[in-house]
Amino acid sequence: MGDLFDDYDREGFFDEVFADPGVRTHYQGVVERLRRLSPTDLERRERIRDGIFRSAGITFTVYGEDAGIERTFPMDLLPRIIPAQEWEVVERGVAQRVTALNRFLEDLYVGEQAAIHDGVVPRWLIHTAEGFRREAFGIPVPHGARCLVSGVDLVRDHEGTYRVLEDNLRNPSGISYVLENRAAMTRVLPVAFAEQHVQPVDHYGPMLLRALREVAPPAAGEHPVAVVLTPGVYNSAYFEHAFLARQMGVELVEGRDLVVDEHVVHMRTTRGLQRVDVIYRRIDDDFLDPVVFRPDSTLGVPGLLSAARAGNVTIVNAVGNGVADDKAVYAFVPDLIRFYLGEEPILPNVDTYLLWEDEQREHVLDRLDELVVKPVAESGGYGMLIGPAASGEEIEVFRDRVRADPRGYIAQEVVALSRHPTLIDGRVEGRHIDLRPFAIAGESVEVLPGGLTRVALRRGSLVVNSSQGGGSKDTWVLEDDADGTGGR
Amino acid sequence: MRLDIRYTTRFRYGAPVAESQNELRACPATDPHQWLVHYHVTTTPSSRVTSYTDYWGTRVDTFGIRAPHDVLEVVAEATVETGPRPDAPSSVPMQALRDQAFMDRHLEYLQPSAHVEWGPSVGSAAQACADAGDVIDVVYAVHHHVAGFEYRTGQTYVGVGVDEVESQRAGVCQDFAHLAVAMYRELGIPARYVSGYLFTVDDATGADSELDEVEVETHAWVEVAIPGWGWLALDPTNSQNVGERHVTIGRGRDYDDVSPFRGVFSGPREHELEVTVAMRRLAVEPLGERLAAEQSQQ
Amino acid sequence: MLARLAENLFWAGRYVERAEDTTRMVDVTYHTLLEASPDVAAQTWEQLLEVLHLRGAYGPDPVDVATVLRFLVLDPGNPGSITACIARARENVRSVRELVSSELWEAINDLHLALGSRDLGEELDDQPFSLFRSIRRDCMTIYGVASETNPRDEGFRFMALGRLLERAEMTCRLIDVRYGQLEALAGPSQRLLGAHAGPPGLARAGQGADRADFHHWITVLKSASAFEAYRRRYRASMDPADVVEFLLLEPDLPRSVLFCLTGAMRQLEALSAGRASRATRLLGRTTASLQYRDVSDLFDEDLHTFLDGVQDQVAEVAETVADEFFRHHPSGMMHAIATG
Repeated sequence: MGDLFDDYDREGFFDEVFADPGVRTHYQGVVERLRRLSPTDLERRERIRDGIFRSAGITFTVYGEDAGIERTFPMDLLPRIIPAQEWEVVERGVAQRVTALNRFLEDLYVGEQAAIHDGVVPRWLIHTAEGFRREAFGIPVPHGARCLVSGVDLVRDHEGTYRVLEDNLRNPSGISYVLENRAAMTRVLPVAFAEQHVQPVDHYGPMLLRALREVAPPAAGEHPVAVVLTPGVYNSAYFEHAFLARQMGVELVEGRDLVVDEHVVHMRTTRGLQRVDVIYRRIDDDFLDPVVFRPDSTLGVPGLLSAARAGNVTIVNAVGNGVADDKAVYAFVPDLIRFYLGEEPILPNVDTYLLWEDEQREHVLDRLDELVVKPVAESGGYGMLIGPAASGEEIEVFRDRVRADPRGYIAQEVVALSRHPTLIDGRVEGRHIDLRPFAIAGESVEVLPGGLTRVALRRGSLVVNSSQGGGSKDTWVLEDDADGTGGR
Repeated sequence: MRLDIRYTTRFRYGAPVAESQNELRACPATDPHQWLVHYHVTTTPSSRVTSYTDYWGTRVDTFGIRAPHDVLEVVAEATVETGPRPDAPSSVPMQALRDQAFMDRHLEYLQPSAHVEWGPSVGSAAQACADAGDVIDVVYAVHHHVAGFEYRTGQTYVGVGVDEVESQRAGVCQDFAHLAVAMYRELGIPARYVSGYLFTVDDATGADSELDEVEVETHAWVEVAIPGWGWLALDPTNSQNVGERHVTIGRGRDYDDVSPFRGVFSGPREHELEVTVAMRRLAVEPLGERLAAEQSQQ
Repeated sequence: MLARLAENLFWAGRYVERAEDTTRMVDVTYHTLLEASPDVAAQTWEQLLEVLHLRGAYGPDPVDVATVLRFLVLDPGNPGSITACIARARENVRSVRELVSSELWEAINDLHLALGSRDLGEELDDQPFSLFRSIRRDCMTIYGVASETNPRDEGFRFMALGRLLERAEMTCRLIDVRYGQLEALAGPSQRLLGAHAGPPGLARAGQGADRADFHHWITVLKSASAFEAYRRRYRASMDPADVVEFLLLEPDLPRSVLFCLTGAMRQLEALSAGRASRATRLLGRTTASLQYRDVSDLFDEDLHTFLDGVQDQVAEVAETVADEFFRHHPSGMMHAIATG
């Protein structure tokens, strides 16, 4: 009798589970388990999974779709597994990157701007980055923890090398899926999970809360009050905002719940004003404070920046991090690591072409059908050109755009993202994946084991974003002493 | 010249306002040409005012009021001493503007910004000045072009486009400053918007007063970066170089970076606004001589 | 707790109650008018709209049973319609989902979705009684679920407070509707007989109701789920004064005004625990003035005016609760200013 994996074809890609002699060691236990499941078993488990997600109300909103604004982010039953030694490299690499970026941002906003003066990053590039916020100058952040939460997107190339695709230093989302996926997996495949000695993730809430308290302003005293600031129930990530507030046991507030009095932030409660020391905000910079940013914004808190500047409240993540999310600035991060830390980058970037350089631009324009072109200020996979999949017409559109605004785009070689067996209509097929580990930087940097593995559910697609029809996988980082075979 | 300045903004609201949060940029800067002796802000109702220096180097006073009030009055009192400014250099070649390091350093003042977005009409007006000669000649050609416009209040508002100012050939100081800045940037000459006070009896001409006390409005002019020399300040509204009767508050890409007062309040939208600036010239010896006198006494 | 969330729960309680009580009033009015002439019917519906403060919102449409029913039951443009109340209750609970049991959210959400998916217009034409009954039952399910799945925390108390204050007002209105109906039935000529005597159906305390009215008072009692309790108390006697007194002052009847006010007082005292509260004082005064009222006097005066007075006082309590707990740090629309 055949099993799930009998017809599986790697189709020449780097596969997370299968290598030439067969199943990679760290997947053997799980593959063995899954092989024993009958199609009926699998269906039953998928039903259990669906029930769990539906009743938890785990949804996100896709902009630009009119019908049923809330969708679920489907979790595949086959987990992604990362052995301890491999994870150790990813963990160090992510921590290194976040450390360097924090140093860079701190230096940029309250320091000497050494990276600019020493020519590591061009001044003009910083000044033209959409996320650069002059309004944030001089606003202190304890421990320089400007990127307190980051969700660094990693991909593995055709050789299995982990590379950084984006840093996501503003408001990375997805952590709620990590925790909910894990909760669901332990119920859907309890035995397989129990055998594997997987590093836990459920301490994320306490971990985040501790870091938030570490960056409370000195004036806060012994028991700083932290809150999660959401734009409201209609925001696409509202579920996650509520989830995080619940995980940490703190209030989920909207801008109208907060008020600034004498440069101190308070929340309005039924028993009067209560002081707030740390705000984990999930509102973009432009909407934070109408006195300083968009005057028409009703989502924010008038006077908030003044309170932060006075050292009476800490805004997390810091204002102005978007400058380092600019995809052209991204190209300089390896240099920033060398400059600020004196270390070689542990995780390489994806090779990136800077299009204001005449030579690189012409080279790119000649090869548009082979490359990926991305707008520098977008995230979430919006507005990009994937050359090999694009029509001649689309390519010409991007040719014009790049010519008109070379600073506005970057180009990258197409990365043949690694693939992972994925359940598609009862069959196992290879699908491209990425990995978003979540790092928390308070006094020190800590990376949650694993992170969000996103899957491009459409056959052949390289786009894993939830907004573009992606799914997810529970991501298991094995304990040091576990080898994946189920034994110790 | 020593000047006392009293800047007052008064809001009368249609109904009591429960909350307002504000930023004030009214404090004279201290720089090589002027020295701030004294500065104090009071608000009615009273509030805790805190200050910081913003990205552009301007002192900002921030305050919030959370007691219901019908009227908000903000008074900034300053005493400042101004000195003469050096004359522009005689000749600077145009190619000096193309120096990479010079351009990189002044990038923010070379690009369009919120109130300095220009189209073909401003572009061609600027280009008509491009052949005037060297950098100084070109700078003055633009200056005189804008200075030839009619000073007319009530026609414009902050936010009017520079192309409209060019076609109307009329406006107030903010409009002229924005237009001049746009023309300079079009020509690759770094230019910034300056917010300040001018001691004058007539906003249109900038004429000096026979009396030592005047009532004025806040003023705006421009500064251009001259390669190898520094910033040259020009007042296109009054067709003059900036001198001792000009008091600088701050500089930025345009009005938005230095607007004297911005904030939000809650309550009905209706409000009346009154801004007054009273300036008094004080009879004191020039700073240099006074310092010398003090030293000789010791 | 956050003032905004407390306010959401307070209004969730009010809106569910308003939906239920509107259902009860529409039901009783519809029922009593089945055999009435079109004129009388129109006048009575007119009065119901007045009592619900919805006459203005109703607009110039002719006041006939089909139009009014649609307006009060399913018109999304009418903020007081039953479906609109449920929708608003749901919106309020939606933003406090973190603070209430998932069962409570589901109960409200289910009702909202069910009303949205049913052809209510057809049900109104076809089976209005069963429609009213099912809405009443679903509303009561919501309270049951709320009461059995939530801890007695601040949030729960605000919801209960909202519900009780709303019900106190609505019971006043229920009596008032009945009073208005009797006026309408009596017609203008009879009303002339005595300026202060009230309509004949209410005649005088102790006079008893005539046969036609007998049936109508039963309906009123039923609509307040009070008929069985009344019969146990007063046996076969059906005196209008007794009915009014029962609905206003019976301390153990869950829909009596007094019951609601004393219940609201308990919640308010727990909420303001130890703090001086103007809302508590106001509510105490309203309750006391009601408690010591001799109802038979009311028929010598104007019952309608009296009921209006009680409603006004309850509204003032609610307003004070809002000031003290939700809006003690007022905020409104923010406007930007930038000047020279």
